Parts: sequence; structure tokens; C-alpha cells
Amino acid sequence: MAKISFHHSDGNVDVLDVDPGTSLMRAAVTNGVDGIVGECGGQAMCATCHVYVRPEYLDGLPDIGDDEEEMLECTAGPRDETRSRLGCQITVGDGLEQIEVDVPDDQI
Amino acid sequence: MTAAATDARPVPTADWVTIPDLYRNPYPIYQKLRAESPVHWVPAVNRYMVTSYQACHVIEQDQERFSADETNSLMKRAMGHSMLRKDDPEHDVDRKSYGNVLRPKAIKEHWNAIFQANSDKYLAQLKAAGPGSDFIWDYAAPYAAENLRLIMGFHNASQEDMQRWSQTMIDGTGNYADDPEVWAKSEQSYNEVDDAIDEILPYLRKNPDASLLSGMTSMPIPLEAIRANMKMTIGGGLNEPRDVLGTTVWALLDNPDQLAQVLADETLYARAFEESVRWVAPIGMYPRETTADTVLEGVQLPAGARLGIVVGAANRDPAVFEDPESFNINREKKPHLAFGGGNHFCAGAWVARASVAQIAMPQVFRELPNLRLDPDNTPVDAGWVFRGMTKMPVLWG
Repeated sequence: MAKISFHHSDGNVDVLDVDPGTSLMRAAVTNGVDGIVGECGGQAMCATCHVYVRPEYLDGLPDIGDDEEEMLECTAGPRDETRSRLGCQITVGDGLEQIEVDVPDDQI
Repeated sequence: MTAAATDARPVPTADWVTIPDLYRNPYPIYQKLRAESPVHWVPAVNRYMVTSYQACHVIEQDQERFSADETNSLMKRAMGHSMLRKDDPEHDVDRKSYGNVLRPKAIKEHWNAIFQANSDKYLAQLKAAGPGSDFIWDYAAPYAAENLRLIMGFHNASQEDMQRWSQTMIDGTGNYADDPEVWAKSEQSYNEVDDAIDEILPYLRKNPDASLLSGMTSMPIPLEAIRANMKMTIGGGLNEPRDVLGTTVWALLDNPDQLAQVLADETLYARAFEESVRWVAPIGMYPRETTADTVLEGVQLPAGARLGIVVGAANRDPAVFEDPESFNINREKKPHLAFGGGNHFCAGAWVARASVAQIAMPQVFRELPNLRLDPDNTPVDAGWVFRGMTKMPVLWG
């Protein structure tokens, strides 16, 4: 199992243990994590699974693809140049056994 | 998910629901249904109607239990077997064939300039026709149709062709009464669209552009799938932006305080757009079919059950939205289901937002000062599977 922590601005944290291969978006939607919508089901089409990855986990992430880059320009919350990612494009396991992210206040 | 059938409630029947009532105004019906159960068997519609937000949301996230590939689908007959009636992985192949054509970058680079030119053209025609002309038929419909024609690459058709194809094939998709005249018109459009595609593909191979059909020429996708997906896109890409444009303008004209807010801050057109599609979803219901006996939000459904996912009702569920029957651009932001969700999330969502909220609405209110409804000629909103303004005479100046 891999561990994902979603930090909310009110201080609450959702900590999920999920199967390797699960995306942050899918984990959040399946477990009812507030603030992650994931409207498009993971096609990098809707920009509603925006997260800010905590700096200590940035090195382990895949590069930002063209579709994700385009969507990061369409997020409701402000884009952070280094920390903003789409939750649907980050999958845990296979070297990323743990990750912590901050959930934006606005997703739509 | 695996609750035993004995724990589940049976589905209530709503034999009091009639199609003419739904067509006139479905919302009081949805209120009554939703308060009683998230799902009903509705004989008049020959479907189980799913009206709660949570139940609709569960369905759109679970294509294993709730398939889009419906048996005896009228849409398949009217338009062919498009991606809208496929599940993954088959759906995904078709969806990928649309490439980046409808995405924000292409909209910025190619389509916004075309939308602006089309809005200029049809707004000039509306002004020439003068106060008393119909906002829907003299502006919103030709504007949406011409936008779609160019996005799709139908250089051999007119916007009037697009409107006729869209309406007649949509009528076929909804031809539950099996009216032979409706089928005849729908089939004529089906054949016209196939002929237009056959004619334009060789041209676009030699003269590529940013359009969907041009992109198709280099995609490994069978002609049959292209034909069906183009018909679905004609049906799903014209009436809907037309209707959200009409409904939003109507709602703002009917709520002068909110209109004043938007006029003072043009960034609020985006809020007005999202609130409008929540309030009146242009596509109010779409079908799914259960793949096995299952329990949905505590209600027992048999395998092969034909479902109507009533997002028009889900978007007014008081469990999610406060004072849901009101149009209110200042309401707390919550995700609506008007664009669908999961793998079938509307491919044209960004095109609709750009063409309607960024270009058409600001220009309409800028160039038609004191725009207002005609007190002597009442507007008409109608429909339930598809809902919008069927008549909206306006005055200005």
C-alpha cells in the first residue's frame, strides 16, 4: 500500500492508504476527500483535481505533460509555478510510496 | 456496493408523470420524485429515472455497473454507434481521435478569433433586424451553428445545414413514439452528413486545418466511427451552446440585480454561465444501462435496467444546493453535473465556456444597451431531455 495525505486549509488532513497504481484524483474521489472534484475522470480535461505538492515530494514526480500543462493554466485556484499538479496525473507506488499535498480552496 | 437484495428497497413507480408535463416544466416533477426516492420506474418514459445528485454521481463514476452501451438505443439508430454509447476501452479510442481540437490551447490559438468573427456577423444581423427580433433564432442559433461548422471542418455545408442536421437527428434520438416522419427526416440528415464527410475528407487531406475532421484524416480510426462521432458532435455541440446562451441571457434579464453585478465585472460572466447550466442543464437526461442486478443508493435495480440519468434534477437537489430552484450567481460554488462526469465528461465544455461566456455574452450586453425582454411577447422555455428557450423576443435601446 502507498500513503497519500491531503492537507486542507482548515488544518484537517485526510490520510489514505491505497493500492499502488492509484492516482491522487481517483483515491480522493473514491474516498470522498473534500476539495478534489475530478469531473472528467482522469483525462486531464477539467482541471478540478488541482493539488499543491509539498516540496519534499516534488523530485519523485513525472514531468508535466502537454495536456496537464494546458489544464494547469485553467485551474480555479492560483497556479504555483513549482508545486501545482493535477491529481489525475500522479500515481502512487513504483518509487512514490508516500506523498503529501495541499488542497486548494477553489477547485471550480 | 454488494448489499444483499433483501436490504434494498424496491423501486417505486411514478405513473403520474407524463411527457407533456415534463416538456412544459420538469422541475416540479423532479422535486416530487427526488423527495420520495432517488430512483423511480416511470412508465411514460419507459425508463428508471434517477433524480438525486448522489445517485447520478455514483453512476457516472462507475461504467462497470452502469454501461453507456445501451441495448436498442435510439441514438445508435439516429446517429450510429458513437463514443457516447461506448464504454472504455472502446470509448477511449474514439475520444482520443478528437486530439487537442477542443482543448483550451487550440481555442486560444484558433477558435476564439473565429467565434469573435461569427458573433460580430450575427450580432450585426440581429441589430439590422431590429428590436423585437428573436435572440435565439436571429443570433444564438446561427452563432452556435457557424462556430460548430468551422470547428468540425464542414466547409461544404452551411450553418443552416448544421441546424437542420442537429435538430432532426436529436428528434430521432428522442423518437420514443416511433413516428415514421421523424425517422424519415432523421435518416435524411444521417445520409447528408455521411455524404458531406465523404466529400470533405479528401479536401482536408490536401488542405489541413485545425478542425476535427482534418484531425481525423491522420488518426487510425474507422470511417464508421468517424461518421457516428461527427453526428453525435453535431447533436451535442450546437443546441447546447445555443441553449445555455439563451437561458443565461434570459436569467440575467429576469434578475436585474445580478445583471448589474455582471455588467460591473465582466469576469462574472463565467459564474453566470456555470450557474445557468446548473439551473437549466441543456442536456437534462442521458441514458445508462445496468450490467447486473445492483443496488443504487439503497434501491434495488435488475440487470439490463434502462436508466435515465436526470442531471437536470440532480443539479437542483436540495441535499447539495441551497435554494436550488433559484438562479443565483452568488451561490456557494459546488460542482454541478451539467457536463456529465467521468470518462464521458463533455468534450466541448471549454468551447462552450469560451464561445458563450467569454465572447458572446459580454459582446451582447455591450452592444445592445438596455437589453430587455419584450413585455408584450413572452419568452418560452421548454423541454426536458433537452431544455432551452424556444422563443425569446428582445428589445434594446
